[in-house]
Amino acid sequence: MIRSLLAWLDDRTGYAGFLHEALYERVPGGARWRYVWGSTLVFTFSVQMITGFFLWSAYSPSANTAWESVYYIENEMIFGSLVRGLHHFTAQLMIVLMAVHLVQVIIDGAYKAPREINFWLGLVLMQIVLGLSLTGYLLPWDQKGYYATQVSTKIMGNAPLIGQQAQELIQGGPKYGHHTLTRFFALHAGLLPISLIAFLGLHLYVFRRHGLTVKDPKHAPETTFWPEQVLKDGVACLAVLLLVLGLAVWKGAELSAPANPSENYAAARPEWYFLFLFRFLKFEFVEHFGLAFGSIYVPGALMGVVAAMPLLGRWAVGHKFNVAFTWTLTICIGGLTLMAFYEDGRDEDHQAAILEAHRDAERIKELASGPNRIPVSGAVTLLREDPFTQGPRLFAKHCKGCHRYDGHDGRGRLVYAGTPDGGQVRAAAEAADLGQFGSPAWMKSVVVDYSNHFSALKNSGWFKNADGQDVLDPDESEMADWSGDAESLGSEENTQNVAALVTFLVAQAGHNTRDGKVIEHDTAAVDRGRKLAVEGDWAGAINGTSCADCHASIGESFAEIGDDDADGYPNLSGYGSAAWLKSFLSNPAAGQHYGEKNQMPAYAKRMTSTEMDLLVRWLTGDYAETKVEPYAAQRMPPVLR
Amino acid sequence: MSDELPHADETPGSDPLEETPESAAAEESSPALRSEEPQPDSVEDVDVDVDVDVNVSPGAPDESDEPDELVDAAEEADEEDADSPEESEEESEEESEEPSEEDVARRAFVTQVLAGSIGAVVGLVPVLSGLIFFLDPLIRGGRSSGDATVGGSVQKDAEGFIKLPVTRSLLPSDGTPQQVTVEDDLVDAWNKFPNVPIGSVWLLRSESDEVSAYSTICPHLGCAVEYRGARSDFYCPCHLSAFKLDGSKDNPIPPRDMDSLAVKPGMGEEIWVQYKSFRGGISEKVEV
Repeated sequence: MIRSLLAWLDDRTGYAGFLHEALYERVPGGARWRYVWGSTLVFTFSVQMITGFFLWSAYSPSANTAWESVYYIENEMIFGSLVRGLHHFTAQLMIVLMAVHLVQVIIDGAYKAPREINFWLGLVLMQIVLGLSLTGYLLPWDQKGYYATQVSTKIMGNAPLIGQQAQELIQGGPKYGHHTLTRFFALHAGLLPISLIAFLGLHLYVFRRHGLTVKDPKHAPETTFWPEQVLKDGVACLAVLLLVLGLAVWKGAELSAPANPSENYAAARPEWYFLFLFRFLKFEFVEHFGLAFGSIYVPGALMGVVAAMPLLGRWAVGHKFNVAFTWTLTICIGGLTLMAFYEDGRDEDHQAAILEAHRDAERIKELASGPNRIPVSGAVTLLREDPFTQGPRLFAKHCKGCHRYDGHDGRGRLVYAGTPDGGQVRAAAEAADLGQFGSPAWMKSVVVDYSNHFSALKNSGWFKNADGQDVLDPDESEMADWSGDAESLGSEENTQNVAALVTFLVAQAGHNTRDGKVIEHDTAAVDRGRKLAVEGDWAGAINGTSCADCHASIGESFAEIGDDDADGYPNLSGYGSAAWLKSFLSNPAAGQHYGEKNQMPAYAKRMTSTEMDLLVRWLTGDYAETKVEPYAAQRMPPVLR
Repeated sequence: MSDELPHADETPGSDPLEETPESAAAEESSPALRSEEPQPDSVEDVDVDVDVDVNVSPGAPDESDEPDELVDAAEEADEEDADSPEESEEESEEESEEPSEEDVARRAFVTQVLAGSIGAVVGLVPVLSGLIFFLDPLIRGGRSSGDATVGGSVQKDAEGFIKLPVTRSLLPSDGTPQQVTVEDDLVDAWNKFPNVPIGSVWLLRSESDEVSAYSTICPHLGCAVEYRGARSDFYCPCHLSAFKLDGSKDNPIPPRDMDSLAVKPGMGEEIWVQYKSFRGGISEKVEV
């Protein structure tokens, strides 16, 4: 029944002859593993078509939905991470397989007559695949893709004659925006795959016309494509699939933070297979000749040589030249790639930037999956308005000159100063390390170890060159004296009292933990601490001395004290709280704060109120809870140590 | 011998195979022809290729290539021994002489089954992953539709009653319907739109001061039901469904009455409505 149906179908279409032709291609010398590369490329392309279609069904190309839809695919849709992972890693593997295929074709002399045309068709296919990977890299609209693609389009803009126009055309305008994505997407899912299919068809057709390039037909008896070679091809494709599946499942395609044109992305690098070009452009002699030289003329010339290989091959030593050229190029590309990896691995700033990029990626995932989802303005606003993300950046920008945060600049980078002989040394902090600000440790240290707590001030230029001027001196003040009475404060009777006072101070500052959780305080201890602060019923010699003796409003929540009412002692009402901190940052030299002794710049006009708000909220732990690891001071690589 | 049996069983089962020895003797048959024969019984994936070849190869255009193939295949089978030692050992023990034609056929058959199944696996993995991904809306359910949030900017209670921006006394007392917009937080995939219009309802106040509410979505095929003042009824401009003011259907077009919505009792002047959507085109009222 089925047979007669198929016979009928064959009679009408002749498909059987076609299939026979496709399946029983001659394989002289027997099926071999060395013939699998082309088939794996066809396979990877099929995987890209399939997974690409499905991703297409969930992707939304616009500047404020692209990242969001990819986030949704990756984190919320069933199998989304798998399908995207397959697409992501197959794309990379395709580049590798393509390189292997090309090198093999050259070494085997498969470009020679009568296969020149097919060689050139292959080169066209290679350009299309590179085009696909370049356009695909931008589509998630994350920081990584955004900044890497910026470089590609800038290079395009540097092309002679029509560079500028070409760049604007592909970008859909002078800058990146909605139309950059719609255009890249139209290329990536439309023109390029269609061209690929067309050229692949031609490539296969011409390939079949001339047959395999067989080096030793006596290797084994001749066989046919089906099933001998198909089995080997199938096993190779299975290996490819398993590799890609493994990567997709265990590693997963990266999605960095949403593209943010106002936020530098120091970790920007092209996809790894373009690293050699990236590294090549960094050579001084290359830079010397200008961007177009290194990024357009040199790669163009190299591609030109490759394209000319069938012609060069006619020359007596032509094939030897081609092979030597290919090996040299391969070694150079490999060498440059390794060099780029090696240098990045030892580059402290780059490593810190990568860590920060991962951190942002983790954080935005937390925020986007929160109860309020993603606002219509896009996920980038979630990060822009997140104190946990922005606080460290603001700290690094404004505070690290004197302060540290757990020993680093807020973003995990160590702070260096130049030495006279041109080297680098760790710069000493010139003000308190704010990593513990408002915590029990901080409060206790202020109370019982004041001089040490603020001793970093003594590293500062203004302190060293004070010349008798009245400056803040952590060793010489009434507070230093009171806190320096270790005997009384450290006595057994006062241990409980100190603990209670610290609890009160911490409660008054009202910070959350560093991962944003609200801290509950023991109200009895808080009340006891407040009483100590205001009335001073200590044990021993300090009995009767209270914080309020000097800091009159310490028991209350923060209230501004005008310059006219300031009494020369710091206003510690609501000490450490967001309100206190904002007042202090705005003008530390106010009478209610450090007055004339102050050396810290006033930040009211140095940052916007939004920025100050973000910084203060970060320092007080006022942000959505997080599981993201805090920044840790970067270990210095051996070169710098 | 046990290895031999299944194949031996298969052999008489299919007619073309019986021809095989003769044609093979004449060195006319392709190895593909014979080797593929057992497949229709056991492996579905490669079924098509098999049948094709069986039917076609005698008259296929490339027949010129085929005569040598039998010899090649035999030698090839030897080569394959290296690839699959288990099999080859067994077989060479049984038939220490030169491999029989059946033996060759079986080896080719194994190759075909392997090639076919590996091909199927590598093809199916991406396709199936993609299909499951595509079925996301069915598998995960309506997670992307409106989310019931209590509190926030929208006044909504735990049962999903939403406070409407109208009061009882503002509704016409003569029973004229009034269309009122319903606002709620709308979750659409990755976005959340706080407090946006999500639809509207028809409200009517009866003489006994009862307020009733109807969805404005036509139970027929989902167009918006309008109020027709001249006839004092509801009708749908798309397919002319008509309803009386009590929501009951007034012509045979709609499959059911208008979808009434629950109004929360005992709220005084305030009107709280449980806004829901129902499937269209069927006579039962089934919530979406």
